[in-house]
Amino acid sequence: MTTPVAPALPTPATGGSREAPVRRRRARPSPSERRERNAALRFISPWIVGFVVFTAWPILYSAYLSLTDYDVINDPTFVGLDNYREMAQDPKVALSLWNTLVYTVVQVPLYTVVALALALLLNQAARSAGFFRTAFFIPKMTPPVAVGVLLLLLFNGQYGIVNEVLSWVGIQGPSWTTDQDWIKPGLVLISLWTVGSAVIILLAALRNVPNDLYDAARVDGAGFWRRTRAVTVPMISGALFFVVVINTIAGFQMFTEAYSAYFGAGNSTYRNDAALFCVIYLFQEGFQELHMGYASALAWLLFVVIMLVTVVQLVVSRRLVYYEGEQR
Amino acid sequence: MVVAALALTGCAQGTGDEGADVDFSADGSPSGERSVMGFGTGDEIGEVRYDRATQDLEGVDVRLAEGELDIQAFLSAVASGNPPDLVYANRDQIGTFASRDAILPLDECVDAEGVDLDAFVDTAVEQVTFDGSVYGIPEFNQVQVTMANADLLSAAGLTVDDVNGSDRDAVTAANEALMRTAGGTLSVIGFDSKLPEFLPLWAKAAGADLLSEDGRTAQLDAPEVVEALEWAVGIYDAQGGFPAVKTYRDSADFFGAGNQFATGVLGAMPMEQWYINVLNESSPDAPMAFDAVRTPGGDAIAFASGSAWAVPRGSENPAAACRFARLMTETDAWVQAAQARADARAQDGLVFTGVLTGNEEADEQIRADLVPDDAPQPWQDAIDAMYEANDATFALPANPADNEFETAWQDAVNRVLNGQQEPADALAQAQDEAQQALDDAWARWDEED
Amino acid sequence: MTTAPSFPRPAVSGAGAATDPAAGTPETLGPPPPARPAPSARGPRRRWLRAVVLAALVLATVAFVYPLLWLLSASFKPRAEVFDNRLVPRTFTLDNYVTVWQEAPLALWLGNTVVVTVLAAGLVTVSSALVAWGFAFFRFRGRGPLFGLVLATMMLPGAVTMIPTFLIWNQLGLVGTNVPLWAGNLFASAFYVFLLRQFFLGLPREPFEAARLDGANNWQMFWRIAVPLCRPALVLTFLFEAQASWTDLMRPLIYLQDSSTFTIPRGLKALIDQFGPGGESQWEVVVTASVITTLPMILLFFLGQRHFVEGVATTGSKG
Repeated sequence: MTTPVAPALPTPATGGSREAPVRRRRARPSPSERRERNAALRFISPWIVGFVVFTAWPILYSAYLSLTDYDVINDPTFVGLDNYREMAQDPKVALSLWNTLVYTVVQVPLYTVVALALALLLNQAARSAGFFRTAFFIPKMTPPVAVGVLLLLLFNGQYGIVNEVLSWVGIQGPSWTTDQDWIKPGLVLISLWTVGSAVIILLAALRNVPNDLYDAARVDGAGFWRRTRAVTVPMISGALFFVVVINTIAGFQMFTEAYSAYFGAGNSTYRNDAALFCVIYLFQEGFQELHMGYASALAWLLFVVIMLVTVVQLVVSRRLVYYEGEQR
Repeated sequence: MVVAALALTGCAQGTGDEGADVDFSADGSPSGERSVMGFGTGDEIGEVRYDRATQDLEGVDVRLAEGELDIQAFLSAVASGNPPDLVYANRDQIGTFASRDAILPLDECVDAEGVDLDAFVDTAVEQVTFDGSVYGIPEFNQVQVTMANADLLSAAGLTVDDVNGSDRDAVTAANEALMRTAGGTLSVIGFDSKLPEFLPLWAKAAGADLLSEDGRTAQLDAPEVVEALEWAVGIYDAQGGFPAVKTYRDSADFFGAGNQFATGVLGAMPMEQWYINVLNESSPDAPMAFDAVRTPGGDAIAFASGSAWAVPRGSENPAAACRFARLMTETDAWVQAAQARADARAQDGLVFTGVLTGNEEADEQIRADLVPDDAPQPWQDAIDAMYEANDATFALPANPADNEFETAWQDAVNRVLNGQQEPADALAQAQDEAQQALDDAWARWDEED
Repeated sequence: MTTAPSFPRPAVSGAGAATDPAAGTPETLGPPPPARPAPSARGPRRRWLRAVVLAALVLATVAFVYPLLWLLSASFKPRAEVFDNRLVPRTFTLDNYVTVWQEAPLALWLGNTVVVTVLAAGLVTVSSALVAWGFAFFRFRGRGPLFGLVLATMMLPGAVTMIPTFLIWNQLGLVGTNVPLWAGNLFASAFYVFLLRQFFLGLPREPFEAARLDGANNWQMFWRIAVPLCRPALVLTFLFEAQASWTDLMRPLIYLQDSSTFTIPRGLKALIDQFGPGGESQWEVVVTASVITTLPMILLFFLGQRHFVEGVATTGSKG
């Protein structure tokens, strides 16, 4: 029987990440404090082990690997910064970065706007919202490999249903899955199909917007668009920002849908430069060519790019995002 | 646990450096479960040989991982130290595997099993031989044959001579005469120049080799190659661009009764000879016309490719693997398999259109004993075209970067097809990439020996 | 380390100051507040507006559901009709299911996937709950920074650790087995630690004080009180990870080489390579295998629908 210490459960008033402050005492921990710490560490130990073995060590290790030439079958040779020099000249690095950037820059805003539009619609449908919410969410359950299959089938330029629907309104659709210029747009569109989870997040945020704000806006004579812009969007900016950040990171790591549809074994004639995203190139170099050193250098490049973008987003969010209860 | 994991990964090592002594001479009978990667029995030709081989390998339970070889899966299996015992690859992958130390030289295997390499087709053996060592036991030979829809040809006032490649301008004209569009989309493909795969064929027909004879110098930016590519791409451009053609081609029922020839939506294309058999089986009444692919001089020409059996480094029982490879590729195996196919075709009232085994001895016997020389047309033409092509093959010279080399020129062709680059620029870039890969691979190769 | 859930993961937003519904209503882990009544416009204008909204929603529903129905329908069509875009097959056939079952060891792949999914989801639920409890229940110096580190790992792109992680499993001789697909889950996942900690923080304190007076130790308080009280959150964790694990392609691509060990998405990819574009163009096989890969997830969704929808809603509000 140990730790007869009061549970540190916060009172209901303090919640979330803003939990009760840790006692700021610089003195040596008392025996009871030590006991509590040890008990805590026992519970936390699985994560600590995992962090050391599967996060910290791999990060350091990939930094070392990026300075070597290593194919797993033969011993690694140290090559200094050769991999980074090679990267600077490799047209596929530039291409994959470009593809990834274009995809993310187009996909994230579009995805967010569509999610917001659907959430606003759902917010209007009081009683039937549950049914529609379910319908919107189901595609999210589809394995991304199957999404890749659907992309190839539905967006087939000749027989695909997307072009058939377009033809009803007199538009002759492009060859979505084979035309260089239309491959990324096709991938963006199919990604909108799995917008359901973002809709649910935004809907939850919308429902937390206090009614009186709308009433006040209405009294001021604000129309729907005005209200959306002046009340709704600022009030749910936290959730919007969340959707944006998550999708940006996911966009930079785009792999499965594009790989399923355009890459793979026995698919050499179908290789398509337009769908060569960073992680796909990394995967090819690492596991198809067994250029583990070069792939590690690519991984570091990707890491730096994602971190930069995320930091920029966080800085911007400080200025734009309103959090409930925040002092301004 | 942490410490152990760290210690284990403390320094990266190669997994391939354990003792290089491999014993191909099996004492007693090899036994246990043996795994084969990349091979599926498929039709009679595969099944009969497979059954025969497994019967001879008593006590060995052969397990197949079917489907085309996935290079990534294979290499990481070797890297992780649990490779299959035997691998079935394309012959143009063997060089890359050998230079990465992923497969073993088979000279001892050839000696121990008494494999008669002279019986094989010369170009096939050359493709898997490096520095005098054999790394694969070849099987099958794929050659290209011109296939055309006779009805479409005659409706346009053409013959198969206009589409067999002997006269590029004639093919270009035929393409435009044969193609049809309906409401802005392609409804009949006139001619399919089969890019990117068949660039080596079109280049060679114009007298150019993509790679020097010693396998060390890429020649992808030679003017003849550029011209060949420009012409072959022009065929697609005339039909609204490659994406349109490819989209249409992808949605066709390639293997079934609704194939492009049977439904009259394809004028002509060069295609590997096994497709003759598919057509004969799935649409025996399709109005077909066949010829070899020809050079401007009228000679037949074909770009040979095929498969090969190779033994991965780390194979648990190379002796059994080697014996299996020998049993699959020896003359008797092919003749029995061909017999089974011929019987099956006869039963269905269909023509046996032959099989190209990569084994000359077997080819000759099969042709002499089983393949008809008076088959109903157009199938006799097909058979003749196939054997004519088989006698006029060329192959890319063996080299330790064959897979990278192929990637370089195929990517270049794809960039042109996608409209990203002009043929000359794309091939110049491919030339640099290919030469770099060749230099690196040869340097490593020469260093090791 | 663990499979990245394909659901949004909370950002470590700099602000991190959002209110916490769970903490606000400590006794319940229930659904979000009931729907707010629609804005109170009146008369015909309102009816007209509602009609437009409903029409838009129905249209969107068709767009979301139709592709799955299309896929299901195509799996019952013969090869020549796969692309005919009819919702009801002109020729109804079960041949595709027979063919795909003969062409590929689907039962084996499904079995493999079930094993991996159950292990991955079960392990991550248990380990993440332990860690979350460690962060929620105890107070110790350095807790804040340590938890910050947990959150920071959520931002780490999986691609960065992909190669070294492969080399670790390679050195352990486990590449080619399914162990790397689930064993990392023994060590908890930051996302679920975060999620579960939120739920633990929302628990009332009284039961724990009572238990302590009765002489219960830390383990007993966790196991007998906290876990039963947080069952919905644990179910949620299990479901999320089950979905992530079932649908994962990248790790099976990296770690599995022999088709007898494939999970179903890896197998589907192999079938795409063999029967899809560049292969034999037998779309009906690919379509049917896609249906077989997807159906279990749809079933999972309907079994855990409430958890999924509420869970996703929660992740967003906790950024």
